[in-house]
Parts: sequence; C-alpha cells; structure tokens
Amino acid sequence: MTYAIEAEGLIKRYGDKTALDGVNLAVRRGEVLAVLGPNGAGKTTAVRILATLVSPDGGSARVGGHDVVARPHQVRELIGLTGQYASVDENLTGTQNLMMIGRLLGMSRADARARAVGLLDRFGLTEAGDRAARTYSGGMRRRLDLAVSMVADPRIVFMDEPTTGLDPRARTELWDIVREQVAGGSTVLLTTQYLEEADQLADRIVVIDHGRVAADGTPDQLKSRAGHRRLEIRPERDLWTAHDILAQVIGVTPHVSCGQAAHRLSKDAAPRPPGGTATAEARAEDATERMADASSGAMPDRSYGPVEDGVLSVPIVDPAMVPEVFRRLADAGITLAEHALRRPSLDEAFLALVSAPSPDLSTPPQLSTGTGGMASAGRQAPSPSSEPPAPRPAVSSRQPQSSGRSMA
Amino acid sequence: MTSLASHRVRPRGGALTQGLTLAWRSLVPLRNEPGRLVQLLLQPIFMILLFVCLFGAMTGDQTGTAQFLLPGVLVQVALVATNTTGMNLAEDIGNGVFDRFRSLPIARSAPLIGRILADTLTMLLTVTTSLLTGLVAGFRVRTSLAETLAGLALVLLFTFALSWASAWIGLKARSVASMQGMATAVLLPLTFGSTAFIPAANVPGWLRWWMDVNPVSHLAASLRVLLTGGPLGAHLWITLAWAVAIVAVFFPLAVHSYTRRIR
Ligand SMILES: Nc1ncnc2c1ncn2[C@@H]1O[C@H](COP(=O)(O)OP(=O)(O)O)[C@@H](O)[C@H]1O
Ligand SMILES: [Mg+2]
Repeated sequence: MTYAIEAEGLIKRYGDKTALDGVNLAVRRGEVLAVLGPNGAGKTTAVRILATLVSPDGGSARVGGHDVVARPHQVRELIGLTGQYASVDENLTGTQNLMMIGRLLGMSRADARARAVGLLDRFGLTEAGDRAARTYSGGMRRRLDLAVSMVADPRIVFMDEPTTGLDPRARTELWDIVREQVAGGSTVLLTTQYLEEADQLADRIVVIDHGRVAADGTPDQLKSRAGHRRLEIRPERDLWTAHDILAQVIGVTPHVSCGQAAHRLSKDAAPRPPGGTATAEARAEDATERMADASSGAMPDRSYGPVEDGVLSVPIVDPAMVPEVFRRLADAGITLAEHALRRPSLDEAFLALVSAPSPDLSTPPQLSTGTGGMASAGRQAPSPSSEPPAPRPAVSSRQPQSSGRSMA
Repeated sequence: MTSLASHRVRPRGGALTQGLTLAWRSLVPLRNEPGRLVQLLLQPIFMILLFVCLFGAMTGDQTGTAQFLLPGVLVQVALVATNTTGMNLAEDIGNGVFDRFRSLPIARSAPLIGRILADTLTMLLTVTTSLLTGLVAGFRVRTSLAETLAGLALVLLFTFALSWASAWIGLKARSVASMQGMATAVLLPLTFGSTAFIPAANVPGWLRWWMDVNPVSHLAASLRVLLTGGPLGAHLWITLAWAVAIVAVFFPLAVHSYTRRIR
C-alpha cells in the first residue's frame, strides 16, 4: 500500500450548497500534503470526511487502506485529528485532557500520565499542565489540541488550518512541531489558507476552490505552472542593443517598458517592508504586467528613437541562459543600472491557479489605475491586511521567491 | 499495514470502561474548581431553605410546612437538575469535544454512557444535600432508613428516566441556550402543575385533572409517604410506570439522534 490517504470523486452537499464537487486526493505514506484554498473552498468538509466525522454524498475514500464509510473504526485507530477549532475540554487541565484520551485508548493510569507528561513537554506546555485549558492562550490551546491528537502516536495526521489565528511566533513554533511529526515518519494532510505555509511544510499542494481541485503539484511545480521567471534589466544606455542581445540569446522578443511602467522595477527592488504589503505589491505588479502584455501595441518601439530609461524583460525557461545574457551584454559594453530575476510569487501562482481568467483581468482601464485591480476579481484570496503575514523561519531549505535581485 | 498501526494503542475494555473514564472527565472539574462544587450544592440548599422557611414563616407553622413541602421541593430541585444532561451534551457538541470523541476508536455509546453516569452521581449529591438541608430546616423523617433510601432511590430512578428526555433535547438543540429554553418549557408545567407544592383540594377542575395525571404529583406523593409515613396507595406504581414509559419513549429517541450525530 503506497497511499496512506486516497479519495476519489468526493461529493458533499449541504442543502443546495455543494461543499465538495468531486475531489480526488492521494497522499503517499510519509508525505505531507497541503490542501490549500480560500475560505469556504471545502477544506474542512474534506478533512471531516476523511476523519470519518461526516459521510460523503458521493465518491469514496480510504485511509490506511480502510474505507472511511464502511470501516470507520479501523480508520479511527490510525488517525489523529486536529480540527479547525480547538476541541479540548475547557474545564479540564492540560494533563487531564491528555490523560482522558490515553485512558480512553486503553492505557493504564500510569502510562496515560507518563504519555501526558511527555507530550506536555514536547509541546511546551509543562508549566501550564495543571491549569484549566480555559485559561490557555489561543496558541497554547492549539498546541494542546495537537498534543491530544498525538496521544496515540498516529501514523496518519489530519490538521485543519492548524495555524489560523495564531501570531507569527506561535505559527513558526507550530511549523516546527509539524516538521518533527513528519520527521518521525507520519503522513500528514494539513489544510491552510496560507501559500507560505503550504510552501514551507508540504511536499505537495492540492489547491481547491469551490469544492473542486484547481491544481495539484509540488510547490515549485505550481509556481512554475503559474508562469516562468522573468529576467528584468535596466540598461544605463543602449536599450535597443540590449534588446537585440536578449532576443538573440533567449529567443523571445523582450518586453519593453519605460517611463511610469519602468519604475516598478526600481520600486520592487527596494527592500520590501516586512508584512503583507509585499504581496499586495506583487499582485498589483502582476496585474500591470498582464495588462502590459495584453496591450503591447502601446509599448514603445524603435520608432520612438532612443529611450533614456527603459526596462527590458523576458521570460526565462532555462536559468542557465542568464549568465550568457550578462556575458553578451558585458561584451557589448552595456552596463546595467539594475537587474532582477523574478520568480512569480506564491500569491501570483495561487491567483493564477485558483481564479479562472476572470473578465476583470481583460479590462485594462480598471487595472491601469494600479490600485489593486486584482481585488475586484471577486475571488477571496488571502488578504494581507486581515491576516498576519507568515514569517519565514530563520533557516529555510527552500529557495527564496526571487533570486539574483540586486541594486546597482 | 501492520507498520501503520504499530505505535497504536488498542483500546481495551468496552463501552462501560470508556464510559467510566468519560464520567470521570465530567466530574473532575468539581474537584479542580471547588467553586463549581459549591455552586452545585448551593442550588438545592438555597431552594430548600427559601421554600421551607419562607412558607413556614407565612403559615406560622414551621414544622408542618417543612413536613409537607420538603418532599415536593426536593423533587422539584431534582427535576431541574436533569437539565444538565442535555446542556452538557449540547455544550460538547458545540465546542467540538464531541467530534474529538468521534474521531477516536472507542465505543460509539461511550460518551452518552459517561454523561448519564456522571449526571446520576451529581444527582445523588443534589438529592442528599436537599434532604440534609431539609433536616436543618426542621423536617423530620418519620420512617425507617430502608423507606428513606427507597424514597431517594425512586427520585433517582425517575430523574434518570427524565435525563434521557433531556439528552434527546440536548442532542436536538442547536445551542446550549435553546436547550435551556426547551427544557424550561417542559419542566415548568411538570413541577408547578403538580401536587408537589399545592394540595389538589382547592384548584380549578382542569388543573386538578392535570395534577392527577402529572407523574411529578405521584413522585412527590410517593416520596412524602416514604419519608413521613402514611398510606402509599397507587402513587408508587404510577410513578414507576411513568418512569418506564419515559425511558421507553426517550431512550430510543435520544439514541437515535445520538447515532445520527455520531455517524
Ligand atoms: N454543516 C454545514 N451546513 C451547511 N453548509 C456547510 C456546512 N459545512 C460546510 N458548509 C458549506 O460548505 C462550503 C465548504 O465549507 P468548508 O468545508 O468549511 O470550507 P473551508 O474549510 O475550506 O473554509 C461552505 O460554503 C460552507 O458554507
Ligand atoms: Mg475550514
């Protein structure tokens, strides 16, 4: 059995509302799958079906090889569930919550206590162990909830939005806990609204929206599917020579922008403020770019004569071509005021995957104002203003979102 | 397959063992926070003192009032306390604790068994406190210990039956607040439309009819006889018949909505 979790064509309706509209999922043993989607996408419904809490109206699912509808008891012997809202008994202490579960699972009183002590320690709750859970902070409650779902040391773990509502520090702490669990060999299915989080924790991401799978792949695949990296350069002079070199090396006619539009490179290259504005900017930028692509006829061409201050940009399919570009530019004696190799941000990837091209995007006038035209796309994307931004941990094994950016 | 389950603790024991753990879980807050225990005991103490002393002062006959009223007030206190079964179930459902239990490989009936066990034990505490308070307020038991215990057991049995109705309402209710509302609508006519407080002699005909039918009248009358003596008549049998009938109706209903909830 290679798959710990498999689901085919899951359908769930609530009245005339379709929460899940044919969802397929497959998670290999030891793999971390992030189910990513906006509010109301159907994430919780999917988790509750897999955890045997509700039965699907259509389709089937197996967890650990057992059908969730036909053999719920066997499934429950394998899983640990941390629901979207902490489900600890508020009137019990942390220790008592953990002991209750241990006893229910057939441990002796002494074993249950030892397990409780161990878990409290692992989840950083030792000091709070003898206090009623009611007095816990949100982060502590979440951790206790997670600890409770780990009492049986489950091999298959479901976590429904484990970090929603946590402050950045509590969030990184929780990430570490998830990583530990994975290092121990568990299969994890977690849901999240944060692209950042999916990127940080998951081997694979399934993007769902309106009860359907919108995309499926590794974080890098999703990012590249959403668009290639772009090389952007701002030559100090000889724009058109640089243009021809780029066209020759990459084999694509570069996109030229100047004046107002060109300023975004320098703006973008400025140190990004911590927090969500960066993503908002990236989205607005993306919109500008799409608009520019759509109406490239209005862009400057050679007939404009020499352009003083322009930015050239080409999509990069093969990153190995980039050094060649720089060499050729240097040979031609062209110095660059700025250059950047920009990956599509996760937000761009997400929007590209989730929102089917919406009519709004093809309406340049709306976008040309540059004041967040994407917001009118009508889809609820994680909004930087309403949610705390997810910080990157100090050590990250993953590639940063943009590379090669530098200021002259 | 086996490696998947290797770390797993397999639940031993059945629904009853698990029910006992869950009963412990419901009772341990009383020990964690003595304030809860005080509140639990204060309710019967306050009600008994209020009714017996107030009406005693009104009539000027403290002992006579206590002898007549205490069994009725005790029954009323016990009936109101059956509320907690449904309320606690509604609370567990509301805050996700129920989902936690359902995701565990335990007997499906364990949470319900645990709830009823715990509530029966607190009921014993409530009833005992009521009787002791009554003794302080001037009530005197005129029967044997066996009859006294039989009287208290009858109250426990009847409230146990009624707690299934409470459980059913709690499982049906959308919130703790609506559970409370529904329970009050059931309990008020049961307790006050009975001979627990008022002798049936001087009430209008329609109320008289209801008082004769009302099981609470018969429960209060049985308890009064078992504590203070006198002819038992048919009260005991009518009370028992009602208890059986209530369980026959509400046990399946509660279990049905429970299994719908836990499916
Ligand atoms: N118990 C329910 N009753 C009615 N509608 C529900 C219920 N649970 C979920 N829904 C609806 O199904 C859709 C998916 O919900 P959910 O799975 O909670 O999404 P997510 O967890 O991704 O935010 C939403 O539109 C939600 O309103
Ligand atoms: Mg959800």
